[in-house]
Amino acid sequence: MAKIVIIDDDPDILDASSLVLHSKGHEVSTATNPDDGFQLVKNATPDLIILDVMMNEPDDGFFLAQKFRRNKITVPILMYSSVSKTIGMDFGVSEIVPVDDFVEKPISPQLLVEKVERLLQLRKENSSCS
Amino acid sequence: MAKLDSPKVLVVDDEDLLRNGVKRLLEMEDFAVDVAATGTEGILLGINNEYDLAIIDLKMPDKDGMEVLKKIHAAKPNTVCFIATAFASYDTAIQATKLGADGYIPKPFSIEELLQQLQLGYKKRLLLLETERLRNDRENRLLEIAFERTRMNTIVNALEDGVLVVNKNGEAVLYNPSALKYLSLDKIVIEEFILPKLHIKIAAQINRYLSAKKYLPQSFSIQLPLNELNESFLQITCSPVPHPDGSLAGVVIVLKNITELKKIEQLKSQFVSMVSHELKAPVAAVYGYLKLLSDDSVQLTQAQKKKFVERSEFRLDALLKMVNDLLDISRMEMKIVQREIMELNIAEVVQSILEFFSLEMKELNLTVHFSVVENLFKVKADKEEMNRLFTNLISNAIKYNKNGGEIDVAIEQTENFVTVSIIDNGIGMKDEEKKKLFQEFFRAKNESTKEISGTGLGLSIVKRIVDSYSGKIEIESEFGKGTKVVVRLPLKSKVLKDHVENYVQA
Repeated sequence: MAKIVIIDDDPDILDASSLVLHSKGHEVSTATNPDDGFQLVKNATPDLIILDVMMNEPDDGFFLAQKFRRNKITVPILMYSSVSKTIGMDFGVSEIVPVDDFVEKPISPQLLVEKVERLLQLRKENSSCS
Repeated sequence: MAKLDSPKVLVVDDEDLLRNGVKRLLEMEDFAVDVAATGTEGILLGINNEYDLAIIDLKMPDKDGMEVLKKIHAAKPNTVCFIATAFASYDTAIQATKLGADGYIPKPFSIEELLQQLQLGYKKRLLLLETERLRNDRENRLLEIAFERTRMNTIVNALEDGVLVVNKNGEAVLYNPSALKYLSLDKIVIEEFILPKLHIKIAAQINRYLSAKKYLPQSFSIQLPLNELNESFLQITCSPVPHPDGSLAGVVIVLKNITELKKIEQLKSQFVSMVSHELKAPVAAVYGYLKLLSDDSVQLTQAQKKKFVERSEFRLDALLKMVNDLLDISRMEMKIVQREIMELNIAEVVQSILEFFSLEMKELNLTVHFSVVENLFKVKADKEEMNRLFTNLISNAIKYNKNGGEIDVAIEQTENFVTVSIIDNGIGMKDEEKKKLFQEFFRAKNESTKEISGTGLGLSIVKRIVDSYSGKIEIESEFGKGTKVVVRLPLKSKVLKDHVENYVQA
């Protein structure tokens, strides 16, 4: 069981995602905008952050991810992307986009659980190594 | 009788017999002949008429033949003149030739001799005329060319597009001021090797033509940012110019500022990406719920299932509304809205909308104050559009209100406009939200608006409708206090009847 924060401005996506992860035994808290999300992560010290790429602005998810890294928050980030392929923009994990993996909307619960488990596993391995 | 194109001859001689004898003889040979009995008369005729030929007697009582010759030759250099004299001497012959005489006819002369001389003279006359015609033509053509050059330069220099022409050696041949600007050059020297001064990509395009073994008939276009900030964009088109034999003469480079086009392109892709995102969001939400509902490994309570179905319906409903709004906007953009313009009483339109929403307002305990200052004025408009306009605004006043709130709707006439104000004391807007008010898909997102459904397209439709009637919309709002929307539409009042009718039709 892990602590997971989901930041997305769509209440229904928050609802469905929380329920999926909750049913897998994780403790889930949510925020609907970047500012609340940042505060929540600082206070809750989660094991994983799930972050939507587009909230008030088309790219504020990216900026929030960068803000986490600048503030030495190294928790793995799984990013929800929504229109990357439609507009021909292909994101990759990079310095500029400091996230660990992407899930494209609409989200298949099975894929979400797989990716979450993989990232949590990686984090566990990394922390036991160091 | 002499024909029209008969050679015209002037005979100047003081001897009546000879003068008239020559006249008769020449007329028989199809010449048109004028005669002058004195030198003075000869000069008058000779300088005022265009004679092909003139035969001038050297010795006349009033004037010397040389003087007559001089005067006629000065005025009509193409008239071929002969001096006729019985005192033929070497000196007078030279003098006459110096003064412009073309021949010398010693007296007495035979008919044959005279005719032969005149025929030769006439041939010379025709050559002289042809020479003069050619000279005039040439002068005219030079003038024309000079004029064409000036005209072309004026046109090329006035072009907003940059133009640069290089010859097959890569030397500048022609350019205009816009070319200097777009190429960021202080000056171009004609006939200098220009390629090294150009942007490397432009030079490369020109080189394709210059280095090609054969003449390349196609044009190439490239797009380049004008400066490092990528604020302006140029489209550069290079086209080859062939010689008549098909070899390359040079290359014409046209530089066009396409910044505006690029901006529109950018706006379009932004819009497409916004639309895709907005359409995908409800799909993603419904998809998420359906996956949960169909997933046997997740245990759901009846209440959860019910909620998921309801939320799915809610999101799909919103999606449908959004698609309809988008179609409306696209119709308005393409100006294919079918309008039925009629005289409308705006007060009646607003009244019926308020009645339509009365049940909803009752549920929210909203109080409505509806006031009409005068109920006579009418607006020429399409009823559907007015309905949509005020439905959108009143529904916003209801949606973004709070339980027990108030809505004030007032209609009055101000100058040539009918003014409709819709004031609510609902949740209002923050300053940064007000700025984005008319943007497609913008919706204020905060705790108070979370549960309110909307497409984010309502106000942009409202704005388009108001604009299309040359109206005006103003919005004042304070967060937590409420919002005031004022719409002004041009009025068709009694006083302004004719004027307004013209205005609407135009």
